[in-house]
Amino acid sequence: MSAEPDDFDSRAAEYVLGLLSPAETERVRREIERDPALAEAVARWEARLTPLAAALPPEPPPSALWLRIEAGIDAGATVVPLRKRRLESVGFWRAATGAAMALAAGLAIVVLRTPAPAAHYAAAIAPMQGPAATWLAETRADGALVITALAAADHPSGKDLELWALAPGATKPVSLGVLPASGAYVVAAADLPRDHLQLLVSLEPAGGSPTGQPTGPVVYAGALIRAE
Amino acid sequence: MAGMPRCSSSFRLADFRDAPLDIAASRSISLGKIGGRSTVALEAHEDPLNQSTGTAALETLLGRCADGDRAAFRQLYDRSAPQLYAVALRITRQRSLAADAVHDAFLQVWQRAGRFDPARGSAETWLISLARYRALDLVRRHGREITGDEIPDRADDAPDALALLTEQREGTALHRCLERLEIDKRQLIMMAFIDGLTHAELADRLRTPLGTVKSWIRRGLQDLRGCLEA
Repeated sequence: MSAEPDDFDSRAAEYVLGLLSPAETERVRREIERDPALAEAVARWEARLTPLAAALPPEPPPSALWLRIEAGIDAGATVVPLRKRRLESVGFWRAATGAAMALAAGLAIVVLRTPAPAAHYAAAIAPMQGPAATWLAETRADGALVITALAAADHPSGKDLELWALAPGATKPVSLGVLPASGAYVVAAADLPRDHLQLLVSLEPAGGSPTGQPTGPVVYAGALIRAE
Repeated sequence: MAGMPRCSSSFRLADFRDAPLDIAASRSISLGKIGGRSTVALEAHEDPLNQSTGTAALETLLGRCADGDRAAFRQLYDRSAPQLYAVALRITRQRSLAADAVHDAFLQVWQRAGRFDPARGSAETWLISLARYRALDLVRRHGREITGDEIPDRADDAPDALALLTEQREGTALHRCLERLEIDKRQLIMMAFIDGLTHAELADRLRTPLGTVKSWIRRGLQDLRGCLEA
């Protein structure tokens, strides 16, 4: 049978090209872990085709990206496989108040490696003109603040949404970085008070405010309150 | 040319000092004695950031990342993030999604650096693959949503990429073999790999039936493998 080796190699090649269905892609990824022949066939196709990607002219990434990666590592974030959203209802997401629900449904990109301890403080960050939450913010036992997107945020062309913390009684907010387009965002340190800490999201030039203070309108806001 | 040896047997190192500076800088110069005669060999030398030195160093940096070396991780990021971002941007067409893909790829790099196996491929291939797969996952999940920061599609993108390959030493065999493919097969393979298009998107883009697209790609890949292994 001469068709079989070709089928085997075609499947590896189509996986590398990204042409398999999401379910088949997942299957190949699991098989790679225990089938050295498949892993090798995939590696060979990656080596054959990657010069095409390596030849693209490099493009400087957003300046805040490194800080985000570093914060993720400091917080022990780990990358989980993306799955298709199981619940498409916007109403459900807007009503969702527990990060656990969002995580269980495969919404988050970055989650804790260990099971998340109970949150001490939480906030729903909502548009200034409406009550529906766009992000859920919660503190973790290690002090990190986790911001999970519950719905797509309005995002005008060439602009970024920057997260700020405003402590009670403070006059100047502290930048917590540019929010990613999707998934969860982990803010590592921040020796900020938790109770009634205001979380504001402003519209800024791409890459974030150049001044260290909000330069655009605050479009979303919420405040941390004790959750239990 | 000033400073060129009058004849190879009487050539002395000192003669090189008169050579134009650009030659000294852009070529590696080796002197050897063969059969009692001095010879000089001028070899074309790749630019300082090019692959032969770059790949080795990326692999060293990955090894240090596996030991938890944050400075090495930062160096690895500085060196490779612009390439990974370019690859992700080409697939997602959205800066925010591309940044997410590179973010996730580097978290994976930090966690899995110890699993990188140089016997299976170069560090560059490993890094680009992490970002590419993540960009594909993200764009498939978000379905190239309209968020306002898209980069417009260009129908002639794929041929550009082929032209870029010729500037890369590692790409020459691939370039030669892609050029040998029929144009439709070549275009489909390149658009799938670089632009991250699905079978359905390719069929739509090239106004070709889905079944035809699938079989062209499959045959194109077999032809490509045959040529690369020849």
